[in-house]
Amino acid sequence: MRLKQSLYTRRRFLNGLVGGWLGALGVSFLYPVLKFVFRPTPEPDQVLLPLADFGNLQAGEVKTFAWGSKPGLLKKSARGELVAFVGVCTHLDCNVTYLADQKKFFCACHDGWYDEDGVNIGGPPPKPLRRLVVAVEGENLIIKREGAA
Amino acid sequence: MNIKGAARGLWSWLDDRLGVQAVMDFLKHKPIPQNRHTPWMYTGSLILLFFGIQVLTGILLAFYYRPTLEEATKSVGEIMTKVPLGWIIRSVHSWSATFMIAIVFVHLLSIWVLKSYRKPRELTWMSGVLLLVFTLAFGFTGYLLPWDALSLAATKVGTDIPRSIPVVGEWATKFLRGGDDISADTLSRFFSFHVCVLPLCLLAVLAIHVYLIQKLGMSLPVGADERAEARRALPFWPNFVYREMIVWLVFFGALVTLAVFLPPTLGQTADLMAPAPAGIKPEWYFLFLFQMLKIFPAKLLFVNGDTVAVLLIFLGVALFFFLPIIDTKPEGRRGKIITLCAFLLVVYAVAMSVWSLQTPAKPEADRIIPSPQNIKEGTAIYVFLGWMWVSVVVLVYFLSMKVKEIDRLLEVGYFSSDKK
Repeated sequence: MRLKQSLYTRRRFLNGLVGGWLGALGVSFLYPVLKFVFRPTPEPDQVLLPLADFGNLQAGEVKTFAWGSKPGLLKKSARGELVAFVGVCTHLDCNVTYLADQKKFFCACHDGWYDEDGVNIGGPPPKPLRRLVVAVEGENLIIKREGAA
Repeated sequence: MNIKGAARGLWSWLDDRLGVQAVMDFLKHKPIPQNRHTPWMYTGSLILLFFGIQVLTGILLAFYYRPTLEEATKSVGEIMTKVPLGWIIRSVHSWSATFMIAIVFVHLLSIWVLKSYRKPRELTWMSGVLLLVFTLAFGFTGYLLPWDALSLAATKVGTDIPRSIPVVGEWATKFLRGGDDISADTLSRFFSFHVCVLPLCLLAVLAIHVYLIQKLGMSLPVGADERAEARRALPFWPNFVYREMIVWLVFFGALVTLAVFLPPTLGQTADLMAPAPAGIKPEWYFLFLFQMLKIFPAKLLFVNGDTVAVLLIFLGVALFFFLPIIDTKPEGRRGKIITLCAFLLVVYAVAMSVWSLQTPAKPEADRIIPSPQNIKEGTAIYVFLGWMWVSVVVLVYFLSMKVKEIDRLLEVGYFSSDKK
């Protein structure tokens, strides 16, 4: 079917074109601003800890180190191997502490409990503490993300 | 059609509560005179544009800036090198300041020469002079914040100038510095002035300024035929606003382009004990004052030369502020002497600035110089600039078509109140 005249006036077409183009230009300036505002803050690929300071842990003892801007917890397990956790509660991001006498990690914010292997055993935490990989290289301990090369 | 209906519904809902329609009706009837002096009327809204950009980019910079002696330079350096596109946000902030101040000068000179400050617009002029003072204070306080050698020297000088004022000088310098000398407290204080005190002051006076302009209407040139002007005048909304949009787009494009190609640099952290770097200069808008202080003799007829210079500056500002009260000529008189004063002041300022530029500045070593070539967004930035300029050209073309259209509509009485 042919219409006798267009239902769309030239004025509306021009208005739409101007408005749409201005809008597109405006949105394209949003991108650099968002890039600036959401600055990437990647966590470290690895952290080096001198063996001299961290190598002499007793079994069951825990020492903290800086994992980027989060606390890392280095622990010597009862079997004598070194394990590391990101010391941040999996519930709502509070920093946890190790209670040596109860052999548990504890988060004071909402009463979260983890056993000595970092497995959540009580309170609101939904997941075990995040584990990091520990390796010894020369004079240093190397702490890496799990799954990192 | 449903979207349109919903938009109309929302508008009338808001209008019932806010009374927006009354403002729109006012703007539809606010006449903008059309004569050979009309181009100057774009300067006011351009200042607003650049002030808006300053607010936005300033908020963004304050997200990452840290106003302490140890961190200030470092954080500005991080903004320029680590934060994605931070260098360009800083560059736009710095360039927009320059644009804003330049257009403030043009705005002021046009009003001076056209005698628009005369009765009943005396308070508009005086609030404008206050806005000028706040604008320059913005420039001055912002200059310290990167805390490199240049900003330290500029602030030492700038905060020492008031000391020469009799009676209150000592107190004024202490107030500005937060002590006898520049210290960490000066930096905190300047940050507070720059992001808190000055914005509040400026917004308050700006509100008065804009209110007065709406209340008193646009001024007509000296000796204009009022009836002929009223016939020619265009309504602010929409006829003038579309014209303003064209000007805004072009200036915005120029701003972003300059910001990409000529970003500001950053020197080493200021050392409170180091001698002032050789050949330093303030920003261009303070050059003429700087040169004046430089050439003033140490002693002038038993009086401290500085005191005379500072008193002269204050006298100048006072004369300037009270210009509408000094020039009380009847409306019809052109006021040639006042125009001559404006002309002489411009010649004086330009001559002094050019003179002060004769001393070559020694480029400081180890300045951080960002440029798109050594930043990984390089190609994307050029593509973005291309897209921006294509958009500006296309939009200017379409907007000028809109201008033609709404001018025709005005002619045939489409906007007159009896038609809805």
